Amino acid sequence: MATAERILTEPVPQEIEKKPWRFDVFAHLPWLKGLVRMRSFQFLVILPNLFLFYLFLIAGFFGTPIGNRNIIIVFVWILWWFVLIAVMMPFGSRLWCTMCPLPFFGDWLQRRSVVGVRSGKSPGTLNKFFGLQKRWPKRLSNIWLQNFGFLFLATFSALLVTRPLVSAIVFGVLILLAAGMALVYRLRTFCNYICPISGFLSLYAMTSTVELRSADKEVCLKCTTKSCIRGSDKGWACPWNVYMGKLDRNNYCGLCFECVKSCPNDNISLYLRPFSTSDVALRGYDEVWKACIMLMLAFSYSIVLLGPWGWLKDWANISEKHNWGGFGMFAAGQALLALVIFPALFYLSIRLGKWYARADDVSTKELFLKYAYMLVPMGLLAWIAFSVPLIMVNGSYIVSVASDPLGWGMNLLGTAEFPWKPLWPQWVPFAQVPILLAGLYFGLRGLHKVGSQLFKDPTQLFRSMIPPAVLLLGVTVLFLKLFIG
Amino acid sequence: MKWKETAGVLAVLIVLLGLPMMLKYWRTVGMIHRYPPNTKVIRLTAVADGGLWTQDEIVGYNYWWRKPTRAGEIALNQGDHVVVQLHSADVLHSFAIPLLHIGPVEVPAGHTVEVAFDANRPGDLTFLCWQVCSPEHSKLQGDFIVKSNGSEDSW
Repeated sequence: MATAERILTEPVPQEIEKKPWRFDVFAHLPWLKGLVRMRSFQFLVILPNLFLFYLFLIAGFFGTPIGNRNIIIVFVWILWWFVLIAVMMPFGSRLWCTMCPLPFFGDWLQRRSVVGVRSGKSPGTLNKFFGLQKRWPKRLSNIWLQNFGFLFLATFSALLVTRPLVSAIVFGVLILLAAGMALVYRLRTFCNYICPISGFLSLYAMTSTVELRSADKEVCLKCTTKSCIRGSDKGWACPWNVYMGKLDRNNYCGLCFECVKSCPNDNISLYLRPFSTSDVALRGYDEVWKACIMLMLAFSYSIVLLGPWGWLKDWANISEKHNWGGFGMFAAGQALLALVIFPALFYLSIRLGKWYARADDVSTKELFLKYAYMLVPMGLLAWIAFSVPLIMVNGSYIVSVASDPLGWGMNLLGTAEFPWKPLWPQWVPFAQVPILLAGLYFGLRGLHKVGSQLFKDPTQLFRSMIPPAVLLLGVTVLFLKLFIG
Repeated sequence: MKWKETAGVLAVLIVLLGLPMMLKYWRTVGMIHRYPPNTKVIRLTAVADGGLWTQDEIVGYNYWWRKPTRAGEIALNQGDHVVVQLHSADVLHSFAIPLLHIGPVEVPAGHTVEVAFDANRPGDLTFLCWQVCSPEHSKLQGDFIVKSNGSEDSW
């Protein structure tokens, strides 16, 4: 067998599978552990963001309607988006959820406390919560609503990312929805099942280089209090309804660190790990479709915003052009691509791989779910590649808007008239290409990793990987074509 | 712990109440105090849709369904020191007062551009958009009417 083929098809040794490298951050930085164990920790990191998002809302309603002169557009859709997707996701998992102000008022209403913790009894927990405390319907306990919510918002992105009022209304509605749901349902139902941002954070957190886990699962199994999920007088029951004894993926851990506070065995720690190596299992069609939707939206955005087709830009730009027919075509095409065409292509590649590998002992469903992991690192890195020109070309708006956040004529920092100045625009493709190729590499590596868990025969593994790998390669080539022409 | 809870609630209240108050103060008091006493500050926003200069504030919440009032004639008193704060709600406009040889001054969307003059003599001072900004560009004009204090001739 050729060397390259052997490297690709060699099954991952079991001992590596069982004990991936990880670095115990809390053990090496005890001050950090002390910090997150402070009851006021999360409040203190949310408060500055609460201030900023409140300013964003005020700016959206009462600031200038010109997007590139209004802080809500520039700080949210250029700065925050880039930091979120290119820094926080790969290197901080769901760190944004630690500091997100959107559910703050919901938490406050539910807990009647901004810092402290109340012990007592509420359904399923040992904390005293307020509100109706209803259980979220089981049928909706997945990320389908987040998938459709994000796709819907993405369809109107030309409005959302250019009109301060639209952004303000969307964030305002999300805050109200989070607060209303906290009064009716248990814990952070809004974050788990509704928030459109949370949906893609859950997916891409799988690749992250950090994880919050129990140090020893045996300790969790023997633990009688299960304080991480039930709460205690030291910490709230996990707002994400996660039991640390069984947590093996980042997807639904919002890094609130309540479990670090409440664990009676001091068994929870923060770990560093290699990028895109540990959580490599998608567990439902909702997650697979999320991966397809995100990848295809990155593709669609790249076509519309970075591509040379003016007519397509006009179709997407409903607020200026008022071409409802064209917009309908754009919206339907984007939805069809994300929900039907690409998933169908992926399914076809799986069927082909299964047929070529003669993999009768592995179900198509299992192969479909597991091989979909390849779309996760590819999707994240495609989004990062797409976001690079946002910050490099439009980053200078941040400097001027920081001085005049509402476009009222302020000059707080003396930079209000800082000119629009793209930062090395000629280097944008040189940044995008390696990022995309890294996406392809990590996608293929993930494919190999999950494949080697399914197939022990190297030839079977290799054959099963070929069609999805070709699909991934095709997607990469299309992105490259868009980015470098 | 109780003091931390109280401090937390206070911090939230300070943010929720303090921020709009701070902004309101800047808007109503702070901005005016940037100019010498007795300066007449006039805010003019150019709007391409409808072709008008308006003294109404065009902001996020009213931009889409705005029906701004046309600033046809703006009254000044002879001797006023005037600062005109110019804004554009949409595209690149340009401002000029030909009789005073002021402008053309570019008014980019979202920026604040200031023009100052002394209304030394009574009369009409026409102001207008100096570049073709939109199909209704020709309507983008108005007048400063300087009322006499009886001491000088008109323009």
